[in-house]
Formats: sequence, C-alpha cells, structure tokens
Amino acid sequence: MEVKDSILALKEGVLKKIEDVKTLDELNSLRVEILGKKGKLKEILKSLGKLPPEERKEIGKLANEIKEIVEKRLKEKEEAIKRSLLEKKLQGEKIDITLPPSWIDVGASHPVISTLVEISEIFIAMGFAVEEGPEVEYEEYNFDMLNIPKDHPARDMQDTFFLNNGMLLRTHTSPVQIRAMLKRKPPIAIIAPGRVYRKDADPTHSPMFHQIEGLLVDTDVTFRDLKGILKLFIEHVFGKDIPIRFRPSYFPFTEPSAEVDIGCTVCGGTGCRVCKGTGWLEILGCGMVDPNVFRAVNIDHEKYTGFAFGLGVERIAMLRYRISDIRILFENNMNFNLQFKGIR
Amino acid sequence: MRVPYSWIREFLDIDLPAEIVVDRLNATGIEAVTYKFGQYIPGLITVKIESVEKHPQKEKLLVCKVTDGKDRYTVVTADLNLKSGSVVILAKEGASINGKKIQKVNFGDVVSEGMFISLPEIGIEDAPEGVFVLDSETPLGIDASKLLGLGEEDIIEIEITPNRGDALSIRGLAREIGAIFDIRRKEKYPVVSISQEFIPEIEVLTDKTHRYRGIVIKNVSVGISPLDVRLKLIKSGQKPINNIVDVTNFILLQEGQPLHAFDLDKIEGKVTVRYARRGEKIVTLDGEERELNETDIVIADEKKAIAVAGVIGGENTKVDECTKNILLEAAVFDNISVRKTAKRLGISTESSYRFERGVDIENLPNAQDKAVELIINTAGGEAVGEKEIYLRPYKPKLVYLREITTKRILGDVVLKEEAKELLERLEIPTEITDEGTVSTIPSFRALDLEREIDLVEEVGRLKGLDSLTPTYPKISLEGFEKSETFEFEVRTRDFFRSNGLTEVVTYTFVGEDIYSALGIPVPDIKIVNYLLKSQSIMRDNLSVSLINTLIENIKFQNRNLSIFEISSAFFPKHEEIRAGILVTGDYVRGFNYTENGRRFSTTQSWDFLKLKGVIESYIHSLGLFDISYKPANIPFLHPYESADVYVNGFKIGFFGKIHPQKSQILEIPENVWIGELKLRYVSRELRKEEEKGYLFTLFKNKPTVQFTDIPKFPSVKRDLAFVVDENLELDKLINALKDASGFIEKVELFDVYFLGEGKKSVAFSVEFRASDRSLSDEEVNREVERIVSKLKELFKGLHLRT
Repeated sequence: MEVKDSILALKEGVLKKIEDVKTLDELNSLRVEILGKKGKLKEILKSLGKLPPEERKEIGKLANEIKEIVEKRLKEKEEAIKRSLLEKKLQGEKIDITLPPSWIDVGASHPVISTLVEISEIFIAMGFAVEEGPEVEYEEYNFDMLNIPKDHPARDMQDTFFLNNGMLLRTHTSPVQIRAMLKRKPPIAIIAPGRVYRKDADPTHSPMFHQIEGLLVDTDVTFRDLKGILKLFIEHVFGKDIPIRFRPSYFPFTEPSAEVDIGCTVCGGTGCRVCKGTGWLEILGCGMVDPNVFRAVNIDHEKYTGFAFGLGVERIAMLRYRISDIRILFENNMNFNLQFKGIR
Repeated sequence: MRVPYSWIREFLDIDLPAEIVVDRLNATGIEAVTYKFGQYIPGLITVKIESVEKHPQKEKLLVCKVTDGKDRYTVVTADLNLKSGSVVILAKEGASINGKKIQKVNFGDVVSEGMFISLPEIGIEDAPEGVFVLDSETPLGIDASKLLGLGEEDIIEIEITPNRGDALSIRGLAREIGAIFDIRRKEKYPVVSISQEFIPEIEVLTDKTHRYRGIVIKNVSVGISPLDVRLKLIKSGQKPINNIVDVTNFILLQEGQPLHAFDLDKIEGKVTVRYARRGEKIVTLDGEERELNETDIVIADEKKAIAVAGVIGGENTKVDECTKNILLEAAVFDNISVRKTAKRLGISTESSYRFERGVDIENLPNAQDKAVELIINTAGGEAVGEKEIYLRPYKPKLVYLREITTKRILGDVVLKEEAKELLERLEIPTEITDEGTVSTIPSFRALDLEREIDLVEEVGRLKGLDSLTPTYPKISLEGFEKSETFEFEVRTRDFFRSNGLTEVVTYTFVGEDIYSALGIPVPDIKIVNYLLKSQSIMRDNLSVSLINTLIENIKFQNRNLSIFEISSAFFPKHEEIRAGILVTGDYVRGFNYTENGRRFSTTQSWDFLKLKGVIESYIHSLGLFDISYKPANIPFLHPYESADVYVNGFKIGFFGKIHPQKSQILEIPENVWIGELKLRYVSRELRKEEEKGYLFTLFKNKPTVQFTDIPKFPSVKRDLAFVVDENLELDKLINALKDASGFIEKVELFDVYFLGEGKKSVAFSVEFRASDRSLSDEEVNREVERIVSKLKELFKGLHLRT
C-alpha cells in the first residue's frame, strides 16, 4: 500500500502548500505542479497500471477525490487572494470625505423677497392672481380714486414722495386695485405684491418697503369672508394657534375698516419690548371696499361687494427672523445677507 | 391727545379701571393706552412761605422761612419770583428726587433744610419751569405727591383716525366710552349772563367761516390759573400760561372747541374775518413772521391781521399780564381751508388739528359760554357784549340703514331694533323704518357720517368685529389667469441663487455722485421732497445700486461678492424689471484631487467667461438658445471686455468688466464684472402693450419644444484645427463651420493658441451624423475637404493646421 500512502502524503502536502500561498502567481504554479500534465497527481496516476486491479480501483477513486478537493481549495484560495487584492486597491483610493467640496455654493435669499414670495404663494394657491402696477404712479390712482381727496387729513397717514414729472412714488400697493378694477369687471380676485415708498426713516420705517395688497370683488363678499381668508393666511404664516383680533380702524378706501393684530410672537402675549407691552402685534390693515372706490371705477356697489387688505412684508419678515432695525434689510452687508441661505 | 381719566369721569358715571376702558376703546376703533401720571415721590409736603429775604452773601438766592402747619423750615431757593404767602411743595431732607437724596445744604451761612420743587425736576414734562406754586388755600403739611396725583392718576392717551375728530375732547371721549358701556353722558350747563353794553363790531367776509361768535369780557385780572385747571392742562400735556389763555386751552380739551382770546385794547377798530392779501405778513404767537396768500383766512382789525383763522393767533393782540379787556373768539372755519393754510405754513396746532378733523358747530355757544364762566370765575371781569354770525345753521342729514346692507357687508344681519339701540348710544337719534332705520346725523359727526356704509361701520364696530365668525368665500374662476410674471421672477431668482448668487434688495433711488463717478448722464425722474440727496434720483439701471452695494461691503472687508437683484429701473414713460448681477472674487471654491492622490485647492476667481456662462445658462433655462454677443459701448465698462447680449436678435442686456479707470475712482477692486438683463416691461398706462426685447416676452412667446427622433446611426468625430487671423471673432467661424455641412451635428471648440505674427490656431471637435445611414470614413473625409475649401473662401488666410 505504498502508493496509497504516498498519495495521501501528497494530499496533505499540497493542501498545506495551498494554505501558505500568498500571490496569484504562486497559486498558478502550484496548480501546474500538482494538476498539470506533468504534475504530481498525474505521475501517481501513471503508476497505477502496475497495481493489482482491486487496488487500482481504490487508488483511482481516492486520486479523483483528492483532485476535487485540491481544485476546490485552489479556487477558494484564488477568490480569497482576489478579494484581498481588491480591498487593497480600494483602500488605496480612500478619500477624506470630510474635505471641503469643490463647489459653487447656493446663494442666499433676501428675507424680504423670500417672505413676499411665500405669502404670495399662499394667496395664489387660494385662487388669487398676481397683478402689478408701476411704482411711479399717478396721484389720481394713488389717492383720489381711492377716496383720499386732496386736502383731506387722511393724506397725512402716508407721507408722500413727489416727483419732478408731476407723478409720485406710490405710497401703497392699493392703486393696483384701481388699475385692476378699471381693466376688468368682477369677479376679481387679485393680490399685488410690490415696492412702495413713504417719506419716513427710522428703525421701524424705511423710505422704501414692500406691501402685498389683496382684493376680492364679487356679488356676495362679506366682512366674515375677509376674516376667513385672513385667518387662513395668518395660520399658515404664524401657526395654527396664534390669537388674532380685528380692531376697527379707518382707511379711506375701505369701510368698515380694521387693523389685524396677532398675539405677540416674541413674548407669547405677556407683553414685551417688541409688542410695547400690549401682547399684540399689528400686522395688516383691511376692510370692505368703500362704495366711493367702486363708484370711481364704475362698479355698481349695490350689486357687488368686496374686501381689500394690505400688509407690510418687512414687518412680517422682521418678526419672523427677529430683526429689530428695518434699515439693515437694505444695507446688503453680506454679513447679514449670507445668514439667509436656504429660505424660500 | 392725552387726558386724565378723572376728567372724563366728571362727565360719565363709570368706575371701571382705566385698563378696561382702554381695551374697549381699542376694540371699537380708537387706539388708546393708559399709564400713570408721573411717579410717586415720598417726602414731598405742602408748605406756606412765611417770609422771603435776600441771602446775606449770595445775590442770586433767596432765603425763605416756611411752615407745614407744625414745623418751620428754612429753605434757600434760586427762584426769585417767590413771594411770601405762597404755598409750594417742599422736598424734605431724605426725599429722593431723580435718585438724589435731599440733604441739608449750606449756602454761605444759611443751612437749607430741603428744596422747593418744580414739576420738570420730578419728571413732569410740559410743565412750567420754576417752583410750582399751589393754590393759597391748599392745606399745609399734606402729601404733595398725592395732591398732584403722582403715580396714581390714570392718564388715557388716544390716537384717532382722521375721521374721528368728534373724539378729540373730554366731551367726545365721554360720549364714546358712554356708548361702549351703555352709560349716559352728563352735561354741565354754564351759567353766564352777557349784557349788551359793548357789542363788538365783527364782520365775516368769507363763506369759509361757518360760524363766528365774539364775546367781550372787560376788567379781567390776568394771573395764574387755579391749581385744578393747571393740573388738568399739565396732565394733558399742555403748559399753563395765564388764567385767560389757560381757559381757552382748557375748553378746547374739554369741549373740542378751539377758542382764541385777543387783547381787546390792542385791536384797532372793527374786526373782520376775510381772506388775506397776497404777501400780507403777520407775526404769530410762536414768534415767527408768516407770509400769507389770498386763500388764507385771517382775523383782522382795520389796520392789520391779528390771527390766522383756525391756526394760530397774532403776537400783536396777545393776552399778557397787562391785559384788562378781551375779545373771546369761538368759530368754526372750513376744515379744508384751515388744512391748506396750516400745511402751507408748516404748522399744526391743537386748533388747526381739530378744525381739519371737524369741530361740532352746534356745541359752539355751549363751549364758549363755559369758557366765559370759567374766565369770570378765575380772572374776574364781566361779559359785556356778544356778536354772532351763523349764516347757514346746521341742517342735519338723514341717513338710512337697511338691514339687508348690514347683511351684505358684515355677513351677519344687524336687526333694526339693535341698530337703533347702538346708534342711539352714540347719541345719534334714530327711528325704525320698514327696511331698517333712519338716523338724524348730529353736528358732531357731520363730516364722518354721510352714507349708509358709514352707519354699517358704526354698528359693526360698536358690536365688535370680533363677534363676526369667519366664513370662507368661494373664489370665482371666471377670468382665471396664471400669475405668469410672478412665476417668471421666482424662477429667475431660483436660477441665480442655485448658481451661487446671493439676492440683494437695494433702494431704487440713488444720488448724483454715483452717476458722475460712472460717467453716465443723471436720469430725468427725481424726487422733489427727498429725505437725503443721496436718495433723490430714480435710477435707470441697477448697476449704480449694485456698485454702491460693493462699496459698502468693502468697508466690511467683504471682498468676495456674488450678488443679484431683480428690481426696477425707471424711465420717462415706463419702468423695467431687470436682473442685475455683480461678481468679484471667488467663484468656485473648495478642493480637488489628481490621480496621483494630491489634494489641492480648486478656488477659481470670477472672470468674464464665467459671468457669461451664468448669463447664457440662465437664458438656456428659459428655453431660449438663439444668443449672440456684440461689443458693448458702455462708459463704465472695459471697452474690450464687455458685451451686449442679444436673444432672438433683440438686445436684452449687457455685461462686462468695470472700466479700470472707474474702479480707481470708486476705490473698488479692478476685477469686478457686472451685468444687467431686461426681464419685463411695466407700463404706467392701463393698456398694457406687449413689449419686444424683454426676456419675459421672448420666454412667453417661444414655441414649445417639439420632440425629434433619437438618432439611429452612429456619429463620426473629427478634430479640425485651423490657422486664422488672430482678431477673428470665433463665433463667426463656428457658425460658418456649422453651416458648412448638413452632416455636422455638433461643433466644439477645445483649443485656442496664439501663434504670433497675427495668427492663432483654433481646434474644434466636429461630430458628423446622417439620419438615414452610417457615414463611412471616406464620406466624412470628402465632407471635411469640402468644408475646408468653403471656409477658405469665407475667411482670408485660413488654412488647415496639420
């Protein structure tokens, strides 16, 4: 049985060698050495002829088994080496993922425009369409047709910049109402976002600022509807639980008129510097379109009613971002502007 | 207007706290706040001056001996007007005034055991300087803080809307608060007798004087007003002057009726109310000389103007300490006329403020009689003559309010019974009719309540707008329009932000200096009444503002600026919405790495082509691809590094580097690029013409993309390098190349190399494709030969580089 012994010894030796192999080259030469045409296993099998048939059969079977095992082990080893080679290659390509990107970073939004766009989008979603007018406006559209006659104290409510061409810088976006109603007949549902101007400059007043005007005119529009729309809007901007109050007020172009206050967003209504201790913040003015305005644009006020509202965008942006001095909004110091990346 | 709450309560039985009153005023349409009068100061007592002597050493001081009824004190004072017998306020040793403790102080040989008090010293503004003298019958030794109401008296301050002139008085506020809480206001009727011994000669020559009544009071003695009058004035923010002038101010506050007292002996002859003469001059009570014109109304005697009607009195007939006889005027002047005069003269007085907002013409005699009564009670004298001119007595208007209108406007019906009750609480007599109510508008609301809608507001506000429950209207889709211009601006803004630009908002008005620094003409539209000269010109481009923004940022060491603005530029007949861009400093930032594993900074700076890239990519984002450039001729841009941008053949903007000379003048870095794109046209007229040459118009009118089949056959690439004249603008060559063969699908420039001797080499990668077959090499070679010979014809000196 010396053939059997040597074949078993060969197996032990070979398996050990496979175990120790380090590279694919070594593995290939080992394969040739064992399983090649002149390999050791072949040699042993060649000598089988000299053995008695009983034994030959047994050894043949054994040799085949050994061949299978060795082939299997070779294959496993090959995969292992390849795996480790790939791992090494990948490791070599490692990147410091914390390095700064190579990029053009997104620019910042301006908080006022961002607020203006966001508010406009709420009203657009409700079915209002954006309407616009010029900033250099006729006195007639800015005042007279809005029931603010010349020499009426109501003109004192808005300090006006007058221009050398006989026109003025619109003091509110309300002239857009007039333009819209002159252009088309009811039903009208518009908002007019835009720049407006008043001769006023202090920490809470800027000579240029932004307003959004809203106007709904139809056969059956009431003050309760106005409350509904504004409640929806305020809840979307300031949150569901915010307290809202409607204080009767006076605007020449609406009657009845109201100012809308919300619970102070800074102190929660207990009273602070921002709300001047009242617990309330005034955020917009509104009312039912005055019949004199309808008369000026030839709309029958016995048939149609309407509401209008106007809000100051800066005021809302300042509350939201806790900005206390309006002037910083228009200084465009990058130390300010770049704080507003990623807002609408 | 601010008044003590206790004054209102003299006319209204109400004992609610001031806070509740103020809350309800706010809830019904009058903005109001309440606070306490001054601050309580312990250690102030009333004392009587028993003797006044000159200080033995110091000329400017007096030594007073005073008593509080029990103890005596010596007090040194600098108020040389003090007289023996006066009752004053003493801050005793230990009292604390403005954080300073009162102590005994040596003045020469005299020890002062306290200090007499003036009201400004204890924080009461609008009070007279000098030691505050109380009534002589004031009890001695009592707490003077309590007497003055310091820290206790509730002050109510209101701000009215322009339509509510009726609330600008104690009388009006009592009426309003009475209506809110359903309490009837009390009236106090004056008791006066006016003899007709001396009827003043008064003539009214203008129909803008609706009512005029003059009363002569003789033998008054001008002096100090009683404490009660002075304190009410002080608590209402008015300085007491003398017992005549104080009464006119007192009645103005209490009744809302402006009054004026003339020194009768300074009036020369007959009084007329007439229009001023052009250029007529008067020195008014504030010491200013005023020049009048024909639309101003004056009160005049036979020689001169003695008052500007409804606005301010004249210095020449002022009541002073020597006045003996007065003419007391009560009038109602036309609100618009008073407003015009006050506006033009640049003054607003308590009187003009009230006339502009409406004065109750029917309450005039009542208010004036109260003044006469008070003058006689405090200054003595007797009323000896009266003359009244009231040409068109008040005729109340009848205003109807239908139930249906309350429903149409408010959303809830206000039943006629309730409407009547609410209106009558406001002292508006109201009757019920079939459809609703009819009100007889009283004179105190004559300017404000003229129409049905005005009464809707009255019942609405008194009920409280908070009582209306919100409903959600149906918004009609008839005439639905997309908000295209808005969406266009939003997408533009999103594009620029995504491309690294930060949004700014600049003032649309600028100063002349930036225009002259840039060497461009100052535009036409200017603000006449500007706040600042540097904010007086309506800009006609955005560059001026963006450059100003850069200058401001450089002051804060912000040298990397990538900014944009979407805003207006102003022209004589229209406005333009433009997008302006300014870039300088870093463009791409961060790290990159090479194959050999090196990591290196990839920071790149802005340059002409990078800005061009942003602009062109933006235009592509609008689906517009026919873009071309021509050299720009803009004085503040580099003449050889600036371009006008054309889309579909329309000039829609420009961009380029700021001219190095201008950079130097402006003290900004040299490498700054700026650009402007015309987005939209805004008309000032109602008819909105569709303007050409604006990106929005081009975007809106562009044809929809039509899908073409994906190519079925492969393309063939060839690199072609040409030698051309170095001044050749490459887009000409590129366009010629594209046009040279029907098989060319794409031309990409990948190298430009200057060879010297006026030549450059330009290399293109050209892609050929046929839609119906695979092109063979030979075919492409033949095509290239054809192209080269065609280009040679077009460009002199061009040859293929091998």
